[in-house]
Amino acid sequence: MSAGWIYNFPFEININLKAIDDAVRAFSVKYEAFFKVITKSLGGLVNSINFVLNKIPWFVLILLVFIVIWRTSNKISKGIIFSSLLFLVGVAGLWNLMNETLSIIIASVVISLLFGFPIGILISTSNRLNKAVRPILDTMQTMPVFVYLIPALLFFGLGKPPAVIATTIYAIVPIIRLTNHGIRQINAEVVEASLAFGSTKLQSLIKVQIPQALPTIMTGVNQTLMMAMAMVVTTSMIGATGLGMEVLIGVNRIEIGRGLVSGSAVVIMAVILDRATQGLVQRSEVKTDGQ
Amino acid sequence: MKKFISVLLLSVLILTLTGCEASTKKEISFADAGWDSIKFHNAVAGTIINELYGHTWTEISGSTTVVHEGLIKGEIDIHMEVWTDNIATYDDDLKNDRLKELGVNFDDNYQGIYVPRYVIEGDAERGIEASAPDLKTVWDLKKYPEIFPDDDNKDMGRIYGGIPGWEIDRILENKFYFNNLDENFIYFRPGSDAALSAAITSAYEKGQPIAAYYWEPTWLLGKYDMVLLEDNPFNPDTYQNGETELPAVRVTVGMSNDFAKDNQELIDFLSKYRTSSALTSEALAYMQDTGSDYVEAAKWFMSEHPELLDQWLNTKDAKKIKDSLNK
Repeated sequence: MSAGWIYNFPFEININLKAIDDAVRAFSVKYEAFFKVITKSLGGLVNSINFVLNKIPWFVLILLVFIVIWRTSNKISKGIIFSSLLFLVGVAGLWNLMNETLSIIIASVVISLLFGFPIGILISTSNRLNKAVRPILDTMQTMPVFVYLIPALLFFGLGKPPAVIATTIYAIVPIIRLTNHGIRQINAEVVEASLAFGSTKLQSLIKVQIPQALPTIMTGVNQTLMMAMAMVVTTSMIGATGLGMEVLIGVNRIEIGRGLVSGSAVVIMAVILDRATQGLVQRSEVKTDGQ
Repeated sequence: MKKFISVLLLSVLILTLTGCEASTKKEISFADAGWDSIKFHNAVAGTIINELYGHTWTEISGSTTVVHEGLIKGEIDIHMEVWTDNIATYDDDLKNDRLKELGVNFDDNYQGIYVPRYVIEGDAERGIEASAPDLKTVWDLKKYPEIFPDDDNKDMGRIYGGIPGWEIDRILENKFYFNNLDENFIYFRPGSDAALSAAITSAYEKGQPIAAYYWEPTWLLGKYDMVLLEDNPFNPDTYQNGETELPAVRVTVGMSNDFAKDNQELIDFLSKYRTSSALTSEALAYMQDTGSDYVEAAKWFMSEHPELLDQWLNTKDAKKIKDSLNK
């Protein structure tokens, strides 16, 4: 026991966890009105996306998927396979749940791109900023979701609004990273040339750097989408309805069939969204190479 | 490189050896099904066992079904809170001698739809007016959809229901339809235990109305003043359809067959282990208020209620525990 200090940390500071709890709660009570506005607008966004999705006839969406996959992959067979997979989701009676999930995904991805793209450009311009932002991004991706999910509940209540927030925190990272990376990896000569020909920095950014970086940025969009898909089941734990909730119920009740069917629907959604956006990546590659 | 590998091997060897040394002592694994009260009971039983017999203890976490399977397989030794009604196969398992039921921990617990007391009676101290003064029963909720608004659907109220997958979720949904609450209410699944308690905490701190499923004993109902909405008198045949109030669940202490073989003294102790819903809530509320951990709460609890130790243990052992608490 005399050598206890070798194995046990010699001293510990008692962190006042209770104070943190109380501070967070007091904060949520004090700024209730502010959070209510955010909650309302996020809920409104998700609900209106869901409303639009529900207004699209099922065959139109299937046709759309067929065309998009066909055009992006240049293969009719792929278009047929993916649109019939989507058809299966409808046959399994999960169409409306899929729309519900899709509306949360779309809302989160739109918000992620809206914030992530400018942030990515901004940090590509400064090494210092890049160094400062990096650990924040690492934290956002590795902090266990429930650590910030539960405080988010105090602020935003249960349901879709906190689901969008949690998904955004997780999914915004790739678009920031890859936008930054894409712009940084462009040849310095290219940028120099554009400046030498008399374009302003902004012109160089919009007309030269972003187009050059487009394939990488598109990969970022694709990754953001996939990250958002990965949060579907997690967010159902805070009451977000949709396919994730079906999976959760199935798993918790050990209704294997129910979990498997709704889980497969999530996979089909993810694969279709992945292929469609990967198609965009490839097309943007062809474009930049051609020019 | 060679040197590096040999150092690595050596350190692995040392670690394994020290690991072996540590495992010669008996370590008892308790089930941790994820909620507060079971962890508290684990701490009480674990502390007593540690003091009397020197065994260390640990917890294995999982969902209700997972820890039940673990108990049957013998990976978990003791399960302090087997919520018998929530495990579909429980009677069958008991009949086939897959586990040992030692005794009843408590069977006076309530569960159902709760609302904060200030919703019905108001709270002069906090300046909250009673928003639903005539709310008494579950079907009275129908009159107050605007008091419990759903964020996503205007004009609809929201009832926070059971955690998906718990047996109670099904029953509550039946109750929801049985009372025709679906006309102006949404049955909202909170997704997880943590989310549900966060929703209630958040509403209560802000003084807002909320109607939510919860159960005793929990720190939440020990701490917050909530009213259980009345329902039709309990009927064992129809409560599953949501027609009557919910039964108190028999919460028992279980032990795995393997472990029961050569731990007679623990069987003797745990067979007598009995608390109540109120006692457990009291300890959990103490924990929530003081920020103490489970073991500290267990020690506080035993020194507050020495009479329980006399019931559970023989005079000599009870005295030993009491002495250790006074240290």
